[in-house]
Amino acid sequence: MLDSFNQTPFLHGVITIGAFLLLAIGLIGAMSKKNLFKIFLSLSIAEASLFLYFIGMHFEVGKDAPIVTQKVTEFGVNMVDPVPQAMILTTIVIAIAVLALSLSFVVNYFKLTGNLDIDKMNELGEES
Amino acid sequence: MNPKREIRVQTIVVSLLVSIMTILLLGILLSFQPLSGSLGSELLAINQTTTQSANAVTSVVTYFRGLDTLGEVTILFLSIFGIGLGIERLQEKENIFSYDNALLKIGADMLFPLIILFGLYIIIHGHLSPGGGFQGGVVIASGFLLMFLAKNNEFKLNHKMTTLVEALSGAGFVLVGILGLLLVDRFFGNFLPLGTLGKLWSGGVIPLIYIFVGLKVSAEISTLVEYFIRIKDVR
Repeated sequence: MLDSFNQTPFLHGVITIGAFLLLAIGLIGAMSKKNLFKIFLSLSIAEASLFLYFIGMHFEVGKDAPIVTQKVTEFGVNMVDPVPQAMILTTIVIAIAVLALSLSFVVNYFKLTGNLDIDKMNELGEES
Repeated sequence: MNPKREIRVQTIVVSLLVSIMTILLLGILLSFQPLSGSLGSELLAINQTTTQSANAVTSVVTYFRGLDTLGEVTILFLSIFGIGLGIERLQEKENIFSYDNALLKIGADMLFPLIILFGLYIIIHGHLSPGGGFQGGVVIASGFLLMFLAKNNEFKLNHKMTTLVEALSGAGFVLVGILGLLLVDRFFGNFLPLGTLGKLWSGGVIPLIYIFVGLKVSAEISTLVEYFIRIKDVR
């Protein structure tokens, strides 16, 4: 009975809906939260949905990781595409770099002003 | 018409638009089919003859698209450099955590060399098994994080050392690319003997590139961890 769940289109649908829900959680958090720290962490959650979608959509049932082992002894036979995994490796590192830089800006901003609420920011002198 | 009513109309229109876009996007995403004869299958077909690396993801990251990895490492370096501009006198700051636990301190002393060894293992075997420079570098940085948590203010990074490791490994990474350009045909070309598939000495320049990347990433992420954990002012 469980074989009907172990089909490639079903798993692709589950991965798509899950990634979309994760994207929605991240975007709703980024739009509704007032704390600057939580906004950047929500954007990081939304990025995680992209990683999940890219890796998951290139998975197919019966194929293994593109690494030669005792089980898989030849390149190109029963192997998934290695290019999306390499791209996502690049993307994860860049996401970490951008997140770290933005969080360091948040820390420095808090040291200067003692404020993290985006509704109370008035450094540019706008009339509220 | 009072202002309250306009806002309600706007809300209804915006929520309708958002739901229509959601349905359209879900329809596009659910009907997506990955192509079968793509770049990946071509790269897998020539992987054994050109690189002799057992891990195809590693050969794509470091050999076929080595220039991308150089740009990625540069972005990571620029991010750490931008964070370093905000640091003033890190040595006078205190840890935000202050655990005083003898078990944690002795256990951290025992675990720290093992974590460093495990990270180096993952870096060196990046062309044979899942792993590589970025993953092993982050494992090494997690060892430093354990030391920062356990020995709150006694453990400090030697900043001259981390800067030296980072600069030398970055320069070595670019040097491997330029040697490939001079000795063989292209940037990040392979100028070392290939070896046999599955052995530790195989893959040409791929282990060399990943060792440089691993050292650079471990130094950078350790500096990052120290900055984020030691931000409290000394009273």
